[in-house]
Amino acid sequence: MTSLAFLLWLVNMSMDTFGHLSFKIAASRGGGLSTGAYWRQLLKHPWLWAGISCYVCEFFVWVAFLSQVPLGVGVMLGSFNIVLLMIAGRLLFKEMLTGWRIFGIVLITLGVILVGMGE
Amino acid sequence: MMRFYCIGFLVLLAFDTMEQTCFKYAGMVAAPLEFSSSWLEKVISCPWSYGALCGYLGSFATWMTLLRRAPIGPAFAASHLEIVTVTCLSAWIFHEPMTWHKILGGVLILLGVFCLAKAEHAVASKNAGTLDAQQA
Repeated sequence: MTSLAFLLWLVNMSMDTFGHLSFKIAASRGGGLSTGAYWRQLLKHPWLWAGISCYVCEFFVWVAFLSQVPLGVGVMLGSFNIVLLMIAGRLLFKEMLTGWRIFGIVLITLGVILVGMGE
Repeated sequence: MMRFYCIGFLVLLAFDTMEQTCFKYAGMVAAPLEFSSSWLEKVISCPWSYGALCGYLGSFATWMTLLRRAPIGPAFAASHLEIVTVTCLSAWIFHEPMTWHKILGGVLILLGVFCLAKAEHAVASKNAGTLDAQQA
């Protein structure tokens, strides 16, 4: 894999994780509100818009990344966002890391490294 | 009910696969990659980008519909089967070689996803258990 492809992958992974976390922050406010009120306050929430902006940029970064690597490889390397989100969920939201989760994270990481090394 | 899940996941898989294939085509049409506004314009004006967007919106809607009834663990695992469909499709359309790195790496990633699905299932039933205990 070229260093450009690796850089694009890194940027894409960071943006994707940041986007998901922004949505999580925006969505966890306003518990107990009615559906209409919940959506109204959600639309005014800056974190929602931070997440959406991230996704828009990510769209172009992903196109750029896929133009540098084969599609099958790109999709496999892209699944590393699961691992990043699990770790971020643990650090920021105190989400549990059970045995099966850790085992899954290790397997996905090994798989991504293997696929990346083949390029 | 089983039919609802099967059809739902096939639709999800189809949208995901279509999305990624369109992304790849968009990248090919806009090539060579350069960090300029003309490259961005090429991506924005290319019909494949809108195919990718439709695939994304379609898979989002299907996913939300499925999640209303399907348990999260198996649903999460099934939603990542796109790795298999996309790899097979790109071997066929784009003549990408099937290397040992890809096959073995892909299998490891899928096994990892199944472990995470199992974890979600366990966490969900444990939470349901505590809830039952609190209510009792």
